[in-house]
Amino acid sequence: MTTEQLNQEFEEVRGPLKSYILRITASVADTEDIVQDTYVKALEKLETFRGDSSLKTWLFTIASNLAKNNLKARKRWTENVTDVCREAAMADQQFFKEAMQIRATSPQGDFEIKEHIAFCFTCIAKSLPLEQQICLLLKEVYGFQVKEIAQIVATTEAMIKYYLHTGRAKMLDIFEGRCALINQKGVCHQCTELNGIFNPKQNTQEALMKIEMVKAAKNKDKEHLFDLRMEVMREIDPFESKAAVLQLHHLEQNRKVMEKYLEKKGE
Amino acid sequence: MTVTNTFAQNGKASTVKKTFSRQTSISIDIKASPVIIWSLLTNASDYPRWNSTIVSIEGDIEMGKKIKLKSTLDEKRTFKLKIKDFKPEKSMIWGDGKGNRLFTLKENSSGSITFSMDEKIGGLMYPMYAKYIPPFDEAFEQFAADLKKEAELIQNTKN
Repeated sequence: MTTEQLNQEFEEVRGPLKSYILRITASVADTEDIVQDTYVKALEKLETFRGDSSLKTWLFTIASNLAKNNLKARKRWTENVTDVCREAAMADQQFFKEAMQIRATSPQGDFEIKEHIAFCFTCIAKSLPLEQQICLLLKEVYGFQVKEIAQIVATTEAMIKYYLHTGRAKMLDIFEGRCALINQKGVCHQCTELNGIFNPKQNTQEALMKIEMVKAAKNKDKEHLFDLRMEVMREIDPFESKAAVLQLHHLEQNRKVMEKYLEKKGE
Repeated sequence: MTVTNTFAQNGKASTVKKTFSRQTSISIDIKASPVIIWSLLTNASDYPRWNSTIVSIEGDIEMGKKIKLKSTLDEKRTFKLKIKDFKPEKSMIWGDGKGNRLFTLKENSSGSITFSMDEKIGGLMYPMYAKYIPPFDEAFEQFAADLKKEAELIQNTKN
């Protein structure tokens, strides 16, 4: 493996790697650092790469380890993250002022319900144990196989299957109880609520009906609805999408709110 | 710690009653990795999701730690148990002053795992409170069936 080959492959993998790390850390600054450090580390260790896995798997391994170190001292978020952050945002005029400014001026400032669905998954998945969150993202969003995830996480395939199953079951359960898009009794309406704020002229119902997961909600097959939610995740690059700047601003807000909330909760 | 192992086979529980003790046992073959079975048995907060006999378990299932268990046998009661023995992917004992529950995993030549669970309760005062303890057989059979179903489902996760 030459430096040129690494550079070429790294450029190909940079996009997915960056979105993967963002979805784990919820921090743009940490993501930038980790992606850069991944490249530096890969370059330093290039001689040790023996091709036991694909280069993509190897790069995701380095990045995952850096992300784990980054999160070592930080608490996991809680399932009610959307409630906690909604309450904080409602009391924070500056947040909405900035968001409206982004909405008005940024080419990536549109509010899209679909993008908020992906954003919401990112936030709630941070309530899973880290190993479960990592495995779920690698399998369901970034298309890695169990064998490759076992290499990335450095554990057995059986353990990966356990993490995947329990992580998925937990997320199914949380969304079933919370998400009003798939369950009429769901307590969280945040995506439609925000659509009303950012897109007041848009017919929310019409916008919702363009989303497969919402259309399929009536059939009540929780597993299928989760697969459709994962399809939304796969479609959206949180750095390149139409709503990227608006959603990243929101994610930054949520991260700060959750850090304060968890600190207070731990006192 | 030694606990006599008199497991019943094939997912059917059996109980041996004596004057000063009662012992219920069950055993079932599971086609799954011991890693998966052990993970299910030791993740306290996840129990209610897959095990229909457990209402809740609080605490960490680790050597020397204490847990609070609520079972469907008597939902109003909280059992405070200590993890008295813990050999990963092999065996584990939970218990209190009145009794111990032993879990064991044994690898078979066919590659399947025999999961066994055995609980002995007793002591000199046992005859005084015996009538207040409900039979365990049905709950043991359900526990083993739930474990088998969940572990085999996980084992068969698509690669």
